[in-house]
Amino acid sequence: MLSLFAGGFSFFILPKKTISVSEKRTLASLPKLHWNSYVNGKWSDSIDQYVNDQSPFRFELVKLASSINYYRGIHLANREKVMVVAKPQKPNNVNTVTSDSISRKTNAVEVFEEAYSGNMLIINGSVFTLNRGNPKMAAMFGKMLSKYALELNGKTRVISCIPPLSCAYIPSAKYNDYKLKNRETLLSIKQSLTNGALFCDVQDELNKHTDEKLFFSTDHHWTARGAYYAYVAFCNGVGLEPVSLDKMERRVKYDFLGSLYQLTRDKSVENNPDSMEYFIPRVQTNAIHYGPSDYTKPLKGSLFCHGCSGGNSYSTFLCGDIPLVKIKTNIKNGKKVLVIKNSMGNAFTVYLVNHYEEVYAVDFRYAQHNLLTLIKQNAINDMVFALGLHGAMAYGTIQRMHDLGFNNELVRKKDAALKDTTLQNNPSPTFTSSSK
Amino acid sequence: MVFSSLTFLFLFLPLTLLFHYVTNSNIVRNLSLSLFSLIFYAWGEPIWVFLLLFSSFFDYGNGLLIEKFKGTVKAKLILILSIIGNLGILIAFKYGGFIWENINYIIPLSFPKPTNTLPIGISFYTFQTVSYTIDVYRGEVKAQKNVINFLMFVSLFHQLVAGPIVRYQTIETEMENRRFDWEDISSGVSRFCFGLFKKVIIANIAGELVNKYLETGFNDLSSVEAWFGIMMFSVQIYFDFSGYSDMAIGLGRMFGFHYDENFKHPYAAISVADFYRRWHISLGKFFRDYVYIPMGGNRKHQLLNIMVVWLLTGLWHGASWNFVLWGFYFGCFMIIEKLLENILNKTPKIIRHLYTLFLIILSRSIFYFVDFSQLKLFIIKLFSSKSYVKESFYSDLYEHLYWFILVILLCIPFDELLSEKHPVRMSVNRVLKFSQPVLNLVLLLICIVFLVDSTYNPFIYFRF
Repeated sequence: MLSLFAGGFSFFILPKKTISVSEKRTLASLPKLHWNSYVNGKWSDSIDQYVNDQSPFRFELVKLASSINYYRGIHLANREKVMVVAKPQKPNNVNTVTSDSISRKTNAVEVFEEAYSGNMLIINGSVFTLNRGNPKMAAMFGKMLSKYALELNGKTRVISCIPPLSCAYIPSAKYNDYKLKNRETLLSIKQSLTNGALFCDVQDELNKHTDEKLFFSTDHHWTARGAYYAYVAFCNGVGLEPVSLDKMERRVKYDFLGSLYQLTRDKSVENNPDSMEYFIPRVQTNAIHYGPSDYTKPLKGSLFCHGCSGGNSYSTFLCGDIPLVKIKTNIKNGKKVLVIKNSMGNAFTVYLVNHYEEVYAVDFRYAQHNLLTLIKQNAINDMVFALGLHGAMAYGTIQRMHDLGFNNELVRKKDAALKDTTLQNNPSPTFTSSSK
Repeated sequence: MVFSSLTFLFLFLPLTLLFHYVTNSNIVRNLSLSLFSLIFYAWGEPIWVFLLLFSSFFDYGNGLLIEKFKGTVKAKLILILSIIGNLGILIAFKYGGFIWENINYIIPLSFPKPTNTLPIGISFYTFQTVSYTIDVYRGEVKAQKNVINFLMFVSLFHQLVAGPIVRYQTIETEMENRRFDWEDISSGVSRFCFGLFKKVIIANIAGELVNKYLETGFNDLSSVEAWFGIMMFSVQIYFDFSGYSDMAIGLGRMFGFHYDENFKHPYAAISVADFYRRWHISLGKFFRDYVYIPMGGNRKHQLLNIMVVWLLTGLWHGASWNFVLWGFYFGCFMIIEKLLENILNKTPKIIRHLYTLFLIILSRSIFYFVDFSQLKLFIIKLFSSKSYVKESFYSDLYEHLYWFILVILLCIPFDELLSEKHPVRMSVNRVLKFSQPVLNLVLLLICIVFLVDSTYNPFIYFRF
């Protein structure tokens, strides 16, 4: 009984935290009491959320739970298991107007939270989300690209560069069905492309390199090598000569325990951290970040965030999920490319600086500018859709990508705010590999 | 609010205990307990707390009037009014939608289906107040004159939302005569910690396995996996419900109340009848005392009485035809056991025990699947599935091996198998007597670790 009093006492006296880095969310704050929030039950839910989030020694107790859970039974080597991961609960704190100020106008983020819940297969410390694809929805994605191709009327090439899911590469013949279903879904995109839209066969290129690590074991992203082979497929599709990896600077970050570890907290995954290698093109670049808060005040960015580490290592590529990144290179060929992407596209985009004078990377989940205006104003030559397959087979994300070009009501920010004054005033961009 | 939450453990319970024991006056204690109980209920039902208040005042008044007009027709009419009022509330909130659906199926109705939410604990507190007015009418208890005491009886947070159904006579004396007793508090704390352990460590983990095997589609579910899933549901439902009862009884002891046991190792039963003498005992007693015996019990059309009780028991569990089917299932087996009593008594106990377990576990599928088409598919899977057992199933068996052993041990009725004077039992009791505080602390800390862990809510993408 004393321990309950001690727990209650320490709850009141210990300082309160605001952010949980491992959970990638803000922690609940003490809610204010309003009659409406009391009547609809949100106030009491918020108090519960507050107590849960601010429990004394929360992070330490969560780690202890993982250890205790390990001793539920025996763990044999080379065993595979399926774990059911619950979809994360959006915070119900009555103090917050929205739970996510960045994506309040889209459910594109929620699509991915849903995609990375449900059945997860764990084999030898590697996590795979089990998903057999969706040819029907993928065909809708293809039609959406074709609509852009029709609108752009050959002035800008529209290119699909979508990889399969990691479950297409489960190292067990029992799961070959996932490889076949992923193939079916990607071919469905190809078959639905018209008006000159191009299809880059990323899966075919990845299949040639299955002896290499194409996807992370502990994270939902692909590796720099996986993204590289997508870049090779892209080059083959548009008639460019890919730059080989040995012509780029190689760096490695160790002890990367990514998102799928955080979701499963499986011991075998914890004991199998990823090493994150990345390849820096030997090209001078200058990057500008637009958003997430104020598009009229662009910030100096970077192609790589060399300081990102630990669970945040993947943010090395493009410094994370910025709504719009403009990269100017010292490749003086007048060619410009726009990449429509989610975070999967970050590791792919960095290779494009080898071929284009300007690279625009738009994260469709957070972007608030009209894509067609962006393309026309900046005379973009190639429009590449480079995102994870989940985004190419979910109605919410396909609708979002469509609306960014064709629905003016969705897009709030006018592109006058995106005039590239900073780049124009900076004739000597710095070589990004020397920063951070 | 639930017992197995950090808000309850760190804030609500310490404050309630503090306000209860800061005074020696039972009047102030009862007032404090009533207020805290209403806060507890309003936490989850900010609006329907007023229904609870109405129900309390309604039967407080009925009790006084029944006693005032004792022996007259008026007393009987007031009793009928109380029964109709309480059951009316229950029917309106719990069965309104179900009744509408079934009538509408035959005769299309012009008004829309009632869609109100079901207030928490309504099935428990309406039965509790009905039992009170009937007992007053029968002269088994005196009507409570103090409105606060009566409100406390109805709203007491220990048993309000998940039972046991406490009869007024159980706590009649203790309402006004409770003393500070270290033995009670100590036993109460131990019982509460044990109940919390059963809920958090056993029931919640069983729930994870249930979710995995019964909630993710049946397409490639093998028979072995189907049986495993429904067995895990049997574990979950037992440890969840009995854990809550243990916590309720433990909380009662902490505050000086002594409630009756609600579970007695039901999975050790050797017949369906024996099972229900061990499972949710307070509900069984309610239906026995207020339906079965008044209908004639074993003196008049016993088999019909048994079936009526079981159909009502099924309906009490939920407003859906699968619960009626569940009640019918047990009504049939109760009747069969009655008719074959002589043969069954000659059957070896182990056979009877296994046949009982088989029937009980099978019945859980009727309880679990509200949709009949899903139930049908699942029953087919139980007995003939073309799917193979997956590798991941064996992983689950290995990785939960120690937990399974613990579950089995907790189901064994050692106190029935070993007499009080048995040397093993006496040794265990001696060790427990000295180690109980440490054991309580360990159980509580493990539960808190898991409760905190259950609040871990990671996102794929940054939300700040």
